[in-house]
Amino acid sequence: MHETDIHDLSDDADYAAASKQGSSSVTRSDSSKRSSSSEPEDAQIVYLKDNVSIHPTQYATERIGGRLKLIKQGSSLVMTWIPYKGQSSNPRLSEKDKNLYTIRAVPFSDIQSIRRHIPTIGWQYVIVVLSSGLAFPPLYFYSGGVREFLATIKQHVVIVRSSEDANVFLVNNFQDPLQRTLSSLELPRSLANGTPSSSFRGSPSPSDNNNQETQLDTVNTSGSGQQNNNRQRQKTQDPARDLSIQVLEKFSLVTRFARETTSQLFRDSLVDGQGQSQSQSQGQGQNERRRNNWASKDHKPLEMAPIDAPIAPKDVPVPSDPLEFDKLSLVWGKPRQHPLGVEEWSNFLDYEGRIMDPDALKKRIFYGGVEHNLRKEVWAFLLGYYSYDSTYAEREYVVSVKTSEYMTIKNQWQSISPEQAKRFTKFRERKGLIEKDVVRTDRSLSFYEGDDNPNVRLLHDILLTYSFYNFDLGYCQGMSDLLSPILFIMKDESEAFWCFVSLMERLGPNFNRDQNGMHSQLFALSKLVELLDSPLHNYFKQNDCLNYFFCFRWILIQFKREFEYDKTLRLWEVLWTHYLSEHLHLYVCIAILKRQRGKIMGEEMDFDTLLKFINELSGQIELDPILRDAEALCVCAGENGAGLIPPGTPPALPIPEASMYQQQDDEVL
Amino acid sequence: MASRRRMLLKVIILGDSGVGKTSLMNQYVNRKFSNQYKATIGADFLTKEIQFEDRLFTLQIWDTAGQERFQSLGVAFYRGADCCVLVHDVNVKKSFDSLNNWREEFLIQASPSDPENFPFVVLGNKIDVDGGNSRVVSEKKAKAWCASKGNIPYFETSAKEGFNVEAAFECIAKNALKNEPEEEMYIPDTIDVARARQQKSSGCEC
Repeated sequence: MHETDIHDLSDDADYAAASKQGSSSVTRSDSSKRSSSSEPEDAQIVYLKDNVSIHPTQYATERIGGRLKLIKQGSSLVMTWIPYKGQSSNPRLSEKDKNLYTIRAVPFSDIQSIRRHIPTIGWQYVIVVLSSGLAFPPLYFYSGGVREFLATIKQHVVIVRSSEDANVFLVNNFQDPLQRTLSSLELPRSLANGTPSSSFRGSPSPSDNNNQETQLDTVNTSGSGQQNNNRQRQKTQDPARDLSIQVLEKFSLVTRFARETTSQLFRDSLVDGQGQSQSQSQGQGQNERRRNNWASKDHKPLEMAPIDAPIAPKDVPVPSDPLEFDKLSLVWGKPRQHPLGVEEWSNFLDYEGRIMDPDALKKRIFYGGVEHNLRKEVWAFLLGYYSYDSTYAEREYVVSVKTSEYMTIKNQWQSISPEQAKRFTKFRERKGLIEKDVVRTDRSLSFYEGDDNPNVRLLHDILLTYSFYNFDLGYCQGMSDLLSPILFIMKDESEAFWCFVSLMERLGPNFNRDQNGMHSQLFALSKLVELLDSPLHNYFKQNDCLNYFFCFRWILIQFKREFEYDKTLRLWEVLWTHYLSEHLHLYVCIAILKRQRGKIMGEEMDFDTLLKFINELSGQIELDPILRDAEALCVCAGENGAGLIPPGTPPALPIPEASMYQQQDDEVL
Repeated sequence: MASRRRMLLKVIILGDSGVGKTSLMNQYVNRKFSNQYKATIGADFLTKEIQFEDRLFTLQIWDTAGQERFQSLGVAFYRGADCCVLVHDVNVKKSFDSLNNWREEFLIQASPSDPENFPFVVLGNKIDVDGGNSRVVSEKKAKAWCASKGNIPYFETSAKEGFNVEAAFECIAKNALKNEPEEEMYIPDTIDVARARQQKSSGCEC
């Protein structure tokens, strides 16, 4: 990734010390005798992989990147994983965290098995299980390479595939493989409950051992401390909870990751379940049963849909969501925050009005949106009308220059006389279209309601001016839907115009005559669904729904008709941050589809029924849970997801090649 | 499959933006008029159960976006149509001039098995506006065009006042039904010969 940031082990004092500790700690084992020489010149790196990460928390964004190596020392093979220095993506991850997770020179004689996991979505990872039965946290191969990793190991140590599970590879195993696999998974209950056990000998060094113990303790206390007061702590007898911890801890150390993920998931499901049983006196209803089912079926994961989601009426088996298990172990959208307020906003500005940290601002808005009275100012930045590094004075100047520029363009059509208009069909047609559409745009909103409403007139004037500013694109239905909230927030005609211009720089291709912007988004959407929910993708494929036209309205006008007006404002400002992705809106589509997947597949909807069903979701969608899901999906899809979206797909800015092509075209003309 | 398909009659409403497609559909299905309808984005449909000669049908009426820029979506929405309704606003000349384009575009995109005989119905809407004083497309002119395109039935309507809407859709349904048996014959999985013959005869009855 960033080659300069990579922490090279060879000339690192820490590593030298670590490898010494490593070799001294394994003197108990037979193999270490064989590799008694710890001379560095003996060591030969046989495998090196960058971008192998550990997720210390349930959030995939909070990851520790590092370099995984296999080192041949004499006749023994040693594995190391060293985190990169100074590359912390997240302030919450301290150097201490990194040290905790560092894997320092573990000889393969101490390794019992390696479990490979290649999910249909997300990243491949391996879990290295030590002879003691303990395991390291999952190592995520962000740049692939699990197969190569295993192949390299195979060249140097005896490794056999478990007869029980094709994804488990047993190292140095000459006994009954089945027996060993099973026993390795049965961890003592005491460990699962967080008590450090004396069997912790897999730990490479005594100091690490101490660290682990401290960590386990802090996990326990911080775990309980995190429990929200109004969220009842689960009873230890809860079978679902115990089981889930076992499931996770079978495979990895009792890390904060495992603990937090588990408690978070169960806190959420319990809160839902409890809320339900409080409101319905027959608490042992559907939800209760479903949770118990979950518990009894070991690996069957949590439903992504809220636990009180309507159950499909028909008895059609719906393939389970492939993301569910990964979600359990990987990501969970963060809770939404309160909107950005005036005081906090002022902290983002320096004394001259520059935004000091645009990325932090965008992140803040991504997670909470903006208070209504701040929107006029903040939207101008998000949309690109103001630049983040401009001062108050510069912005004032921009506004005045842009206002007169707007008036100049507006004058172009205002000066067209009736005689001229008679001979200007295109102008008349455009004006007619706009007139027809503005009178049916958000008229139930007080800002636009009533006869001769001046704001409706403004919508008309701005749209007609835009069709002169961008004569090639002109006016297209849907534009009035996009302009309406902008004018509602900006109030000022010229400012609304320029903000709309900025938005159209990104969304203009939605309205192209050849609809290429829409087609590339619908195509990307189908690819992302294939990645994130293959059963749903297959369902759409079988039912001739792969054109995704049922999502056309969602995408064309950015869900404007799907949410209440104020929710649309919130959604838009979140989308405009481009914080996790420029294409978060596609993940919003998937989040909504996923919440309805049981219904769509259970009721065996065909294209027509699906289209109607989707259209009728309008006004029925809750924004915040969808945003959380969309965030999780976006993180989960990661670079794989981003790679499926063709370059220049709106709202990404058009790619330079395209504009060059157009220029060449012009030259020909 | 064949019997299920026969129950559903799919009708597509086309025409320029703002001629009243959504209003006509809502007036017919819900007997309601509102001047608050938003411009249709993408497509939507309403269904209505109708009885015709002792048989029940579901009329599925598709409302589409009127701007020609969205015509490329038609492929998905037009398929399997049994009748196409072309609407113009009698007060807007351009909307009448566009009928030809809408008709041709439909035939290209829906590619019905027998384009020559595919049923269309033309509606001249908004005859209520300004007491008819702002009218620019005469009934005569509209009928002449319909005659030139293979005697397409023509109705003058007011979605706002509900005038002639019921009659127009009755004709639309009848034509859709007439189309149905012929279309059925082209469906390869209809291998039951007796059944196919039966359908054809029922088609002749209308």
